[in-house]
Amino acid sequence: MSLSFIIYLVINTLVVLAIAPLFVSIIKKVKAWTQGRQGPSLFQTYFNLAKLVKKETIYSAHSSWIMRITPLVSIAAILVAALFVPLVFVPEPVGGIGNIILLLYLLALAKFFMALAGLDAGSSFGGMGSSREMSISAIIEPTTIIVFAALAFVFKTLNVFTMFSASVASGTTSTPTLILLAISLFIILIVETSRIPVDNPETHLELTMIHEGMILEQSGPNLALMELSSAVKLTLLMALLINLIVPFGLSTTLTLGALVLAIVLFALKGTILAGIIGLFESSMAKMRFFRLPSLFAMAFFFSTLIIIIEVFA
Amino acid sequence: MIDPALIQSVIRVLFAVVIITAAYIISTRNLSTLVSAYAFQSLTLVFMALALWSLEDAPILLAIAIITFISKVLIIPYFITTIQERIRIKRDIEFHFLSPTTSLLLSMGLILFIYIALSNILKDTAARESLFFFGAVIGLSLMLMGMMVTFSRKRAITKVLGYLSMENGVLLFGMFVTELPFIIEFLIVIDLIILVMLTTILSVGLDSTLEEYHDRLHRFHLVEDTEEGS
Repeated sequence: MSLSFIIYLVINTLVVLAIAPLFVSIIKKVKAWTQGRQGPSLFQTYFNLAKLVKKETIYSAHSSWIMRITPLVSIAAILVAALFVPLVFVPEPVGGIGNIILLLYLLALAKFFMALAGLDAGSSFGGMGSSREMSISAIIEPTTIIVFAALAFVFKTLNVFTMFSASVASGTTSTPTLILLAISLFIILIVETSRIPVDNPETHLELTMIHEGMILEQSGPNLALMELSSAVKLTLLMALLINLIVPFGLSTTLTLGALVLAIVLFALKGTILAGIIGLFESSMAKMRFFRLPSLFAMAFFFSTLIIIIEVFA
Repeated sequence: MIDPALIQSVIRVLFAVVIITAAYIISTRNLSTLVSAYAFQSLTLVFMALALWSLEDAPILLAIAIITFISKVLIIPYFITTIQERIRIKRDIEFHFLSPTTSLLLSMGLILFIYIALSNILKDTAARESLFFFGAVIGLSLMLMGMMVTFSRKRAITKVLGYLSMENGVLLFGMFVTELPFIIEFLIVIDLIILVMLTTILSVGLDSTLEEYHDRLHRFHLVEDTEEGS
């Protein structure tokens, strides 16, 4: 493991932790604007997290050790997963880091523990949330695999780092396969981060909530960790989309100037994408649960199309 | 003169856009965006014809672009939007045989089938590797996807849109593979406009008796109420 890789580990984790709450706030702000409201301050998510950290953690009397370790497992898995997706600087890959299948299963691990914690306290809402989350995961799994397989086919590698280097090197942004990929990845992003039309992150409406249902029993610093891990997950999926489709500015050499430029550009591109997500969410209603497969089918369709093109053409 | 390689990559991007709109037309349940998607698809075809025109410099392509723009981007969507406003249907949620998800999955299989079939047919010709081969595949796929819309939807107005998108597929195929005589293109467009006009009249009454039909015309505000008491 070289020195530049260690620097990469530090920089990537710091950047993702620093920028993730901002993107969540931007999405909220855009949604508020489209509804004609002022919306919370851009730093509100940071304030929320800071406040939660100071509060006391309360466990239900029925809960077990699952409840206690879930926030830690979740944030750990997601932060490690965030290392797989370089935000601003792409080093040479080391070991298994960057493997796209491992990335998927790290995300699945966090999701699995979150679902367990939802069941653990014995609250019926948590149980419903977990049950829905697991059903959706089971349905989205083939689609996710196909989308990532399409990525692997397009870039001829399983390693995210190599994909990013290739996309920086080619620099083209508008090949048709990338457009189709962008749509598929966007759908995956929406589904994985529990946003409208799959789930509404803003309500605690017992009949529909999925993600909120599972973390209903968390409190204090644990809740802060869960919120932070979902923000980081959003950021890493956004980074995957951004750095594959519009890679310009992504630094491949470790110099201070390139790094600062890359951070600024990433924040800018992320802001635009967060705005797009906000507009997308505002423009549609939550889908009925049993209609969700048609959304996934869209991503599945485009990715399979990419594979057909890549294999036969 | 613009670089041909650039134009070719533009055309490839337009192919992707056509496929996206086709998938949207198959799966959406919202009628007003369905019409916009159709208009957008036609607009893509216009751009494609223009790109091909700048590549080959055949005036017929320019003519196709112009009549496609006038008829399919302006006139036909206008008629369909008008009828939609009149009959006040916003959604199409009834399906025959296939749900949108199944049709999407099925159309994937169809595209693969067309791809393999065409590449076998064109195996030894020079066209195999070119843009025109892709145009043929996407044209045929668009045709079959439109056909699926036509038979899987229940509402007459969506069936018509499926038919129209099928015709877009024919146009695409014609642009890239065979040079259809211009007079035939033109006649097809006129047929389409007449079809849409007929549909605007018939889509409220296709399944009714004549007496009921008159009632429906009143109910959907398609004729002004002249007698009192209605």
